[in-house]
Amino acid sequence: MFSPRRNLKELADEDLMLLVRDGDARAFEVLFDRHGGPAFSLAYRMCGQRARAEDVVQEAFLSLWRAGGRYEPSRGSVRSWILSAVHNRAIDSFRREAVRPTRPLDEGNIVERLAAPELTDVEAERRADADRVRGALGELPEDQRQVIELSYYGGFTHQQIAEMLSLPPGTVKGRMRLGLGKMRISLGEAGVLP
Amino acid sequence: MPGTPDCGADAAAYVLGALEPEEAELFRSHLDQCAVCRDEVESFGGVVQALPLAAHQYEPPRGLKRRVLQEVQREQAVAAREGVRRRRTWRGPRQLLAGGAAALVAAGGVVTAIELSAGVAATVVTAQVSGIAGSAQLRVTGGHGELVVRHLTPPKHGHVYEVWLQSGKAEPVPASVLFGVNSSGDADIGIPKSIHRGISKVMVTQEPLGGRPRPTTTPVIVARIGDLS
Repeated sequence: MFSPRRNLKELADEDLMLLVRDGDARAFEVLFDRHGGPAFSLAYRMCGQRARAEDVVQEAFLSLWRAGGRYEPSRGSVRSWILSAVHNRAIDSFRREAVRPTRPLDEGNIVERLAAPELTDVEAERRADADRVRGALGELPEDQRQVIELSYYGGFTHQQIAEMLSLPPGTVKGRMRLGLGKMRISLGEAGVLP
Repeated sequence: MPGTPDCGADAAAYVLGALEPEEAELFRSHLDQCAVCRDEVESFGGVVQALPLAAHQYEPPRGLKRRVLQEVQREQAVAAREGVRRRRTWRGPRQLLAGGAAALVAAGGVVTAIELSAGVAATVVTAQVSGIAGSAQLRVTGGHGELVVRHLTPPKHGHVYEVWLQSGKAEPVPASVLFGVNSSGDADIGIPKSIHRGISKVMVTQEPLGGRPRPTTTPVIVARIGDLS
């Protein structure tokens, strides 16, 4: 069945996944075009190295291609599924290497995603949401932001973070709770979360 | 108090994936009885799902897309070749799938299903899980294997799960993949090495962080696949 690429771009993610399940590589390519940037951005933020980030994203998207038939909309959006796969594979890569990336990030000729003149409404809304999430995270007290970043982007457990920061047991978990609670309120008021 | 979930604080650490493996398992059991924690997990979960947006946004490198699509095309070509070969032997898709399943059952594999994924037949083998909780399946498509685990006990602190491939009675060889599980005990693990003919088992052991060149513990997951011809 002929599926013009122009029409594919108009389909929602969930509809594209149905085509991917049936082996439509062009539908898969549209999904990559749509979500490859955020996926790579998360992987790069976590891995700190372009090559490792690329490997993580490649593994995540190939797992989507192979497992497309098992996607369930009730468990979340396609983007959430992809980003969750990226997050898990980045942490798996830390375990394989038994080391974490250190700062500063290796820039490696990566092209920054600049404001495009022809953003779709969906893309414009996502960019606005990204600004709000960065703002909410940036507004947190340093100690709360730090533990959230170390756990989510660094893959460290609360005990590891407590050792790294020389904090008493329980303090890290408490800061995580306070930080996520503040972000919950902030993002709810901003309309990013219901 | 060690061993007792700290309602609220544990929920935040849980959704961030920051609990130790034993703590995460204890907290998952606790969620069944605690509505407060279930609400906290749902509330914090939305925030954690939004965290990827906070990463600085970049365009994906062009070579990355090309490599991903090349691999997709390669897998399609492998699957198509295998389909052609099988069509010369069997009469049609039903016989093709049934024949593949029969071969695996004869070899001792427990074939749960033959599924269509990405338009090609994926053979699904139910793996035996021993000594830990959870379930595992091995899915093989066009020579590529994926291990799917659900509600699996997390590895012990300082340890990781390592995947091995074994041919007959030969020594297991590392499959070049280490993994953990998310807060639900779930993981989908792509196996980098080809699941070629002659591979009789895919196994998982628990090893110290970084993995080991040879298994040091008894396998906790064993998928018997026999000859995939």
